[in-house]
Amino acid sequence: MEPMRSRILGSTAPLAFSALILAGGGCVTHRAVAPHAESPPVPAPPVEPPKPSPAPIAAVSAVPAARTTKATRLPQQTPVPVALDLPTLEQRLRDTRAIGVFTKLTLKNEVDDLLARFRAFHRGQRPPTLAELRQSYELLLIKVVTVLQSGDAELATAISTSREAIWNVLSDPKKFAQI
Amino acid sequence: MPPTTRLLALTAATALASFRVIAAEDQSFVKDLTATIVLQGLRCDKVVSAQRNGDSDYNATCADGNRYHVYVDRNGRVIAQKL
Repeated sequence: MEPMRSRILGSTAPLAFSALILAGGGCVTHRAVAPHAESPPVPAPPVEPPKPSPAPIAAVSAVPAARTTKATRLPQQTPVPVALDLPTLEQRLRDTRAIGVFTKLTLKNEVDDLLARFRAFHRGQRPPTLAELRQSYELLLIKVVTVLQSGDAELATAISTSREAIWNVLSDPKKFAQI
Repeated sequence: MPPTTRLLALTAATALASFRVIAAEDQSFVKDLTATIVLQGLRCDKVVSAQRNGDSDYNATCADGNRYHVYVDRNGRVIAQKL
């Protein structure tokens, strides 16, 4: 599951990594400054100089990125779409209040049916062909997005953004086996 | 009030209680039933009333006059059958 998740999140990894570096860099800076102020005579210069150097680099590289993101967000007034991995997507669909229980169950039935067809396809059964599966997949995604877009536009956008990432998992026999 | 009339009133009240008229605050339920019917590929403008038959079991009436039995079967599948 981990490899699959990391593959799906491949596109978002740089952002997350930048955020992590930014947060981590802040902590490193605070920790590095405090000992300097309190105990100057302690002979620890060989260890400390390398630590502050990554922090400014990270801060310099991450801050403009954040500003650029804000700058692009403000005119459009829409959140930056982030591709979801399958477990996150499943959980968010379970949690959303935009659709009722009957609708959720109906969609779950359809997802299960589609997964069964993919399973048959990966076993070598024809039909369905990959083109037919793609068509069914697109149709199901349209249904999901349609029922979500009025009540949970953010999730609807995230699902639309994740379209190719999810398809890559479903259509690849090795990735599909890990679901 | 005579006992017979009282009994009739009680029966009528029980019958009315089982018939769920969808009020304004049940818009989410209306949307849920409508979406469920439409997702099954059936025709329904909007559910205007629903009669509860049991757990996860309703008879829904749409604005266009179509009526459907919407329920969850033993396999956990949502079924919408035209009445």
